Amino acid sequence: MKQFSKILKFELGGYLKNKAFVGITVFLVVATAIAMFIPNIISAFQSDKQGSAPPTELPVMLVHAQDSNLSRLVGEYFSEAFTDYSVTVADGTVDDVKAQITSGSAACAFVMSGASSYTYYVNNLNMWDANTAVADTVLQEVYRVNAMIQHGLTSEQAGEILSVRVESDTVTLGKDQMQNYFYTYIMIFALYMVILLYGQMVATNVATEKSSRAMEVLVTSAKPTSMMFGKVLASCIAGFSQLVLVFGSAILFYNLNKTNLSNPIIASIFDMPIALFIYLLVFFVLGFLIYAFLYGAIGSTASKLEDINTSVLPITFLFIIAFLVVMFSMIEGNVDSVLMQVCSYIPFTSPMAMFTRICMSTVAWYEIFISIAILIGSTIGIGVLSAKIYRVGVLLYGTPPKLSTIMKTVFKKS
Amino acid sequence: MILELKNIDKSFGEKEVLKGVTFTAEGGKAFGLLGRNGAGKTTTIRILMNVFSANGGEVLVDGKPIDYDKIGIGYLPEERGLYPKKRIIDQLVYFAELKGMSAKEATKAVDYWLERLGMAEYRNKRLNTLSKGNQQKIQLITALAHDPHIVILDEPFSGLDPVNAMLLKDVVKEQIAQGKIVLFSSHQMSYIEEFCDSIAIINAGKVAICGDLHEIKRNYVRDRLVVSTTRPEPIKADFGNTCTVREDGTLLIQLTSPNDKQAVMKRLVENYDIDEVRVFEPSLNDIFVEYAGARV
Repeated sequence: MKQFSKILKFELGGYLKNKAFVGITVFLVVATAIAMFIPNIISAFQSDKQGSAPPTELPVMLVHAQDSNLSRLVGEYFSEAFTDYSVTVADGTVDDVKAQITSGSAACAFVMSGASSYTYYVNNLNMWDANTAVADTVLQEVYRVNAMIQHGLTSEQAGEILSVRVESDTVTLGKDQMQNYFYTYIMIFALYMVILLYGQMVATNVATEKSSRAMEVLVTSAKPTSMMFGKVLASCIAGFSQLVLVFGSAILFYNLNKTNLSNPIIASIFDMPIALFIYLLVFFVLGFLIYAFLYGAIGSTASKLEDINTSVLPITFLFIIAFLVVMFSMIEGNVDSVLMQVCSYIPFTSPMAMFTRICMSTVAWYEIFISIAILIGSTIGIGVLSAKIYRVGVLLYGTPPKLSTIMKTVFKKS
Repeated sequence: MILELKNIDKSFGEKEVLKGVTFTAEGGKAFGLLGRNGAGKTTTIRILMNVFSANGGEVLVDGKPIDYDKIGIGYLPEERGLYPKKRIIDQLVYFAELKGMSAKEATKAVDYWLERLGMAEYRNKRLNTLSKGNQQKIQLITALAHDPHIVILDEPFSGLDPVNAMLLKDVVKEQIAQGKIVLFSSHQMSYIEEFCDSIAIINAGKVAICGDLHEIKRNYVRDRLVVSTTRPEPIKADFGNTCTVREDGTLLIQLTSPNDKQAVMKRLVENYDIDEVRVFEPSLNDIFVEYAGARV
């Protein structure tokens, strides 16, 4: 135990004295601060601009039709619908209209071939261009109003019929997926990033000791279990304090800027219930540990640092698959599928799967309990196993041994 | 204190690495563990230090199974290396702490050894800024700082300049004088001969020969004479095929029986210009080649 605490202290010191680690943490905190202050910065910038600069000219939208009545009518409706364009009725031929667009003097054009058909001309079609959708709605409305008037209704009556609103109210008895979606997404993503990053760090750390032959002395000085647990817990504490710092500063800066950050999505992120936060901690720590142990064990079987990347691939794949399953289920909104239910009990996937289900669906307490119990048990099991692999692996040099060979040696010993 | 290894067997998978290794090392004396590359020296050392457990046999201290909590072991591995990017003082204290010292004791001991080995000026430097020889001296501190009962030095002299080698010799003698068991493993026979009272030569996982070095030498059949002379020609002519010239220019005369020793010596002294004549005792090098040379 004494040895373990010494190792933990030494390894933790390694992280805190690492300039890259400190640098990244500071960068993340500053980046969070900037992100949270952006509305302030933008509004300061905008108010400045509005005072001094004249309003910018709106881009020109041309409306053209053979029938001048139609083009005038459509022009009127479009002027109302497209407020960010200056809608102009164009005379002349279709070729003139095209020429104006290619020359840049107009942004786009609707050439009407009838009351309900048109061709849309634009120079470069923007990915998010919704003009045709707006135009469709407007033209449909015009068509319907005209049709109703022709059938003997007044334009007021037609307007009333078209503008009727359905009143609705949603009461969520379970979880509101939309509201929980964003913080679940962020937390799953943070878990993903941290495990990949720190897992690799643990693997590299072990392999560095091995390749620098510091291992020769270490292995004769300390118990492999202490070494493994010390290293992994140190990386866990380092990773966790980094996260706490980043998210803590995010919460702090959010509260400083609450009035400016009226966006409901951002508000929903910071509106995480405390119970979920505790679940997050539990799954985060356990998920982190189970993967870090695996990474450590794999790191001990690589003799050179160059081997690390290929050696850790199986674990990384396992982890990415778990991540993708959870992400797709989240995006689909179907977090209670059979796959997700199975995944929420498998120790390697449960940290992400069960947490997502708790956040976005209703899960019985005993399900959560069983999942956490399995996870705790397997984390301890994997920890002990990885310490054994470590003991065998650290003194093997040359080509990394096959998994089956290691397992044979490990189980033969015990 | 007496350290005994009894019938140690060890195999890795199908491969038998050690087959009944047995030897005894005493406190206050240095013990040489010799063998060719791959003979099983490092495995023996690792079993002694409890890095692996043996498949069979036992490690005893004063007749009882070794208690690793009580018996401190210091180890200078042949494959050197510590943390290249960490400060020297930090890592040395860490290693001493791992061996059970408190932070305060460890710092004190490390500072003593840095001073003793003339490395105090590098105390706060990073390890990779030091030359190879100096890094080796730092590594030696990891083997000695916690004042172990058993000191295991694997090729301690490789890479050291003559001045540092002298310093290390003094340190080793000091450790022996303190009653510690010093276990040497080296291919530089001159150092083993200088320090070690007893040796064990391991060949293909077995102890080929083991015991007091002087006795081993004396047990050789005393049927050869070494003759030192300024005029070898007449002697060569007289003894014919039984006389060979050694590398250092002296003559080696093979006797038909050890009993002829006195007579031949007398004949040499009376008839020729002789500087020195003595019975041939093999050097450790000769013994090594004889016992470790044969591949099994």
